[in-house]
Amino acid sequence: MDLWKFIVRRLIQVVVIFFVILTALFLLFRLAPGDPVERMVDPTMTPEDAQRLVKVLGLHEPLHTQYGVYLKNFVQGRFGTSFHYGQPVEDIIWEKLPNTILLFTTAIILSALTGIALGKIASWRKGSRVDTWLTIGSLATHTVFLPWLALILIWIFAYRLGWFPITGMISEEVWLDPDAGIWVKTLDVAHHMVLPLGTLFLIHFGSTLLVMRSSMLETLKEDYILTARAKGLTEKAIRNRHAAKNAALPVVTGVGLSLAFSINGGALTETVFTWPGIGRELVFAVSQSDYPLAQAAFLLIALVVLVSNVIVDVLYAYLDPRIRY
Amino acid sequence: MGRNAIDRTEVEYRISRLHWLDHFREGWSIFIKNPLGKIGLGLLVLFGLMAACSYIPPLLDPMYRPMVGVDPEIASSVGPSLRHWLGTDFMGRDILSQLLAGARVAFMVGVSAAFMTVVLGTAIGMSAGYMGKSLDTLLMRLADMVMVMPTLLFVLMVSALFGQLDIWVIVLIIGLFRWPGVSRVIRAQTLSLKQRPFVEAARVAGAGHLRIIFRHIMPNVLPLAFLYMTFRVTSAITIEAALAFLGFGDPGTVSWGMMLQWVWRTGHMFKAPYWLLPPGICISLITLSFYMVGRAMDEVLDPRLRKEEEAS
Repeated sequence: MDLWKFIVRRLIQVVVIFFVILTALFLLFRLAPGDPVERMVDPTMTPEDAQRLVKVLGLHEPLHTQYGVYLKNFVQGRFGTSFHYGQPVEDIIWEKLPNTILLFTTAIILSALTGIALGKIASWRKGSRVDTWLTIGSLATHTVFLPWLALILIWIFAYRLGWFPITGMISEEVWLDPDAGIWVKTLDVAHHMVLPLGTLFLIHFGSTLLVMRSSMLETLKEDYILTARAKGLTEKAIRNRHAAKNAALPVVTGVGLSLAFSINGGALTETVFTWPGIGRELVFAVSQSDYPLAQAAFLLIALVVLVSNVIVDVLYAYLDPRIRY
Repeated sequence: MGRNAIDRTEVEYRISRLHWLDHFREGWSIFIKNPLGKIGLGLLVLFGLMAACSYIPPLLDPMYRPMVGVDPEIASSVGPSLRHWLGTDFMGRDILSQLLAGARVAFMVGVSAAFMTVVLGTAIGMSAGYMGKSLDTLLMRLADMVMVMPTLLFVLMVSALFGQLDIWVIVLIIGLFRWPGVSRVIRAQTLSLKQRPFVEAARVAGAGHLRIIFRHIMPNVLPLAFLYMTFRVTSAITIEAALAFLGFGDPGTVSWGMMLQWVWRTGHMFKAPYWLLPPGICISLITLSFYMVGRAMDEVLDPRLRKEEEAS
């Protein structure tokens, strides 16, 4: 079971990396100018509540004891109380996380599939007009400034044409309506999701297309493609079954490597569209100086990136039997 | 005999330096034949002109100063006119002079952050590749770790803790976080160079590690490092713009991201296309042109890509 050994090794690596990030954040929070107690305890709390929170977070202890308390709290999922919401941070985080995962994974999967399909066509008809336009189009959408693209999409499709709602994830009149069934609600969310999804999709499919195109061109030079031709297979079978499947492998790695980068884009998209996700929550918390919330949101995002990286790696090892680590 | 060998590497080195100039000429002719390279370079020259011209409007009239200059007769956003070719923003500042100043900031941020990234990435990649063993493992694990950090969000966290960040601090953080990709490539290149006969020859001739690294390996990885610099410029510009857009940029600098933030926050994005469009187009185009130049350079450095294009 090579694969299992590999998974376990990667997981141990993730734990170590995450531990370093945790420690770095702890030090940053304690070394920044100002009083850490003021930073972690809401100034509007009653003195008794504040005292209790200081004790829970271990802020009155020396630095090394604080570190122990900090780690223990993290493992138990306690992050303190949000200044803005006045609720435990973990509750807010868990409420927002699914929204982010919904938007983000849909966008990544859709753009990867489209990028692979179109990249296949572009490389197969290399040098044709289709290829030129696809390449130019993906270069342009790949480098466009994301928040600006989001604003332009809102301007055209939500403001001018009025096809989609301008912001948010749900319309209150639908969700407060007791008669509204699950279908109506789902449709409502989907309706709100079109523009943010479109933004992320446009930004990502271009890079997938370009990677797929060059990988496919490389694959088409392999001997087994020649063999397939010599066997008299149809062009379609060669393209789809022999070339595309192998060429898609680097795309998987590409998606994995750009995850940290995409998560930045996710936060920007959520902010512009006020999509109630964890990226927007982080931006909001930072602008409100809501330190406990910002800290927890950042840690969770880092964790999500790390875990998805492992998933991508494992997927790659599974798809390509030649790869053994 | 030993003396002879040293002379030979010296001669080889001189020849290789001559070759380097020839390589450059040859590379340039390939580069300029590529439509991507031509368009990208043309656009960059245009942006360079914009940055150079940014010094002119403030000299004409103090109201054209990008950050503090306000038109005494206009106190709101007004569309293009003869006096303000691209109109004014919400407090009567000239948008064109802001746009020109933005070009300067973009180059400054992009090039300095990219330069830092590449110097760090090259140094780390070469040490890891050349020294190998535990240093290699250590540096590459560090690279893995830094690679998964979302840079933008990390800068956000830092600005939450330390308050508004100076533009150079932002550049510094971007530089510190974007090196792993570069160092991986440089490491791979160093590993393969280490096995080449000319490195072996230098070692037999008695060259020390430092001499081998600086005289024999570095000249061969520099083109690759330079290539990566163009890609890093794009990511640095984007990160700074995004940060400014979210409202965490340097408040003393007029960057394109800052301009977009003003349009967005003051609610002018539906009313003032003359204000919304130019900064976004500029950020996207400058990233695109650096990207195109990078791809064209890639073809110069990797002959395989070139043959492929010629065959078609």
